[in-house]
Amino acid sequence: MNQWMTLFKKEMLEMSRNFKWIWVPLTFIMIAVKEPLTLYYMPQIIDSLGGLPEGAVIELPVPSAGEALAASLSQFNTFGVLIIVLITMGTIAGERKSGVAGLILVKPVSYAWFVTAKWASSMILIWFSYFLSYFLSWYYVGVLFEFISFADFLQSFFVNGIWLTLIVTVVILFNTFMKSPGAVGFISIGIIVILSLLSSSLPHLLEWSPALLSAYSNAFIMGSNPPDELLPSIIVSVVMITLSLLASIAIFKRRELA
Amino acid sequence: MPVVNIINLKKRFQDLEVIKGLDFQLSERKCIALLGANGAGKSTTLKMLAGLVKPDSGAIVFEGAEKADFRRLIGYLPQFPVFYEWMTGNEFLEYAGQLAGLSKSEAKDRAKELLELTGIAEAKNRRIGKYSGGMKQRLGIAQAIIHRPKLVMLDEPVSALDPFGRREVLELMDKLKKESAILFSTHILNDAEEICDEILFLHNGELVESGTLAGLRTKHQQAKIDLAFKENTLQYAEELSLLQPVSSMKLDGEYASFLVEDIEYARELFLTEIMKRNLPLVKFEISRTRLEDVFMKVVQK
Repeated sequence: MNQWMTLFKKEMLEMSRNFKWIWVPLTFIMIAVKEPLTLYYMPQIIDSLGGLPEGAVIELPVPSAGEALAASLSQFNTFGVLIIVLITMGTIAGERKSGVAGLILVKPVSYAWFVTAKWASSMILIWFSYFLSYFLSWYYVGVLFEFISFADFLQSFFVNGIWLTLIVTVVILFNTFMKSPGAVGFISIGIIVILSLLSSSLPHLLEWSPALLSAYSNAFIMGSNPPDELLPSIIVSVVMITLSLLASIAIFKRRELA
Repeated sequence: MPVVNIINLKKRFQDLEVIKGLDFQLSERKCIALLGANGAGKSTTLKMLAGLVKPDSGAIVFEGAEKADFRRLIGYLPQFPVFYEWMTGNEFLEYAGQLAGLSKSEAKDRAKELLELTGIAEAKNRRIGKYSGGMKQRLGIAQAIIHRPKLVMLDEPVSALDPFGRREVLELMDKLKKESAILFSTHILNDAEEICDEILFLHNGELVESGTLAGLRTKHQQAKIDLAFKENTLQYAEELSLLQPVSSMKLDGEYASFLVEDIEYARELFLTEIMKRNLPLVKFEISRTRLEDVFMKVVQK
């Protein structure tokens, strides 16, 4: 376990040396908080931009607090996912491409620990940024609209977080058999987009799909009952996360590193 | 006692057979040079021994690693070492040491010791991204030996260095050989002759020659007489070569080189003849063919 901690500490140190601990949370916050703010100030924004004919009256329906927070949540599934892929696509592939992985893995390093230390450190960075930004968004929604119960907020936070976790894990999986971070990013995004599109266009066939977790997590903040498919969907996601992680280790062991 | 046994190792990349069946043994505390031209298969051989490239067939058997991880026994420096640029030299060594199984305090002590030994102690708190090529090479050697491996493999450790750096790294390797077996690749015979006991000469993926340097010299080296005259060197040389069984004579720039069987006899014969005819001699040198020439011959075959 000592060796795992050594690997893990190195990852954490690297993330602070290249300022990931600053810019990832900041970007997440901008993405998340933008939504309730623009929704709330939309009439003023339109007003100040002008360009409307004299006397035109636009009635903007005032969104509910739940809708405002759900808008934040949906941002995590577009820009948030993109950032997650960007910061994890080179975590192993980059080290293999540069050659430093060759130097490290001729030491008696456990492949499983190498992969899981990378995974764990990415998870911590992303869950931390995600929590911070989503929490702030929840707070702004509370101030500008009305407060949603914290328990509902937490439930939606965890359910959507499972989907983000799956994304991190899949990106790490591709990291283990591709040497180019660009290719890892491209294929990961491709797969996420296809999975999301299929799941949202064929929801009756893929109701257990992990890509629907974010849609399901809306239920908590919109005040409706979570759908019955939530649990199978969570189970499928957790199984996929576990399998991807195991596959990453198994593949990485068999790779030629040079 | 052998550290590692290499048995009929083969490797091909697509259509190209890079290693065509290698067999050799490395013993403890010996320094062995893996010699060969670019593309002879030196790097591939070292990468296979380090476990970075998997051989197609054959076996690499490390003594004492039947059960445990063989990586404990080896240290490896790639030809172009890359580090985490954002770490300092000291951090990297402590990291490498801990990964190799040292405790935190052991790694710390060992890193300090090696920074001194390799002469980069004054740069230990600088980011590796700011290191020069020579400093990276030394750091690379330090990380390779941090866990006192039985076999240290260095891929072209001196090829990219300037003459001073080269000298220092060779001296460092000379010290290392007291602790571990060293296998290093080079395309320069001189480097091998300087610190090594044995060489393995690789050509087109095959071991064409191997053994101790002394053994190779007696096997391949021939006595040689170089002569130069003030004028008409070629004409005089041809006349002299008729005198006795000279195995070969060739004109090498300004002077003529004779390969001879019996050096004592040839010297006397040549000198008497030159004195007798009062030839305008400007150079008379007795030497031996260099091993380098021997290898050139092998490569050109």
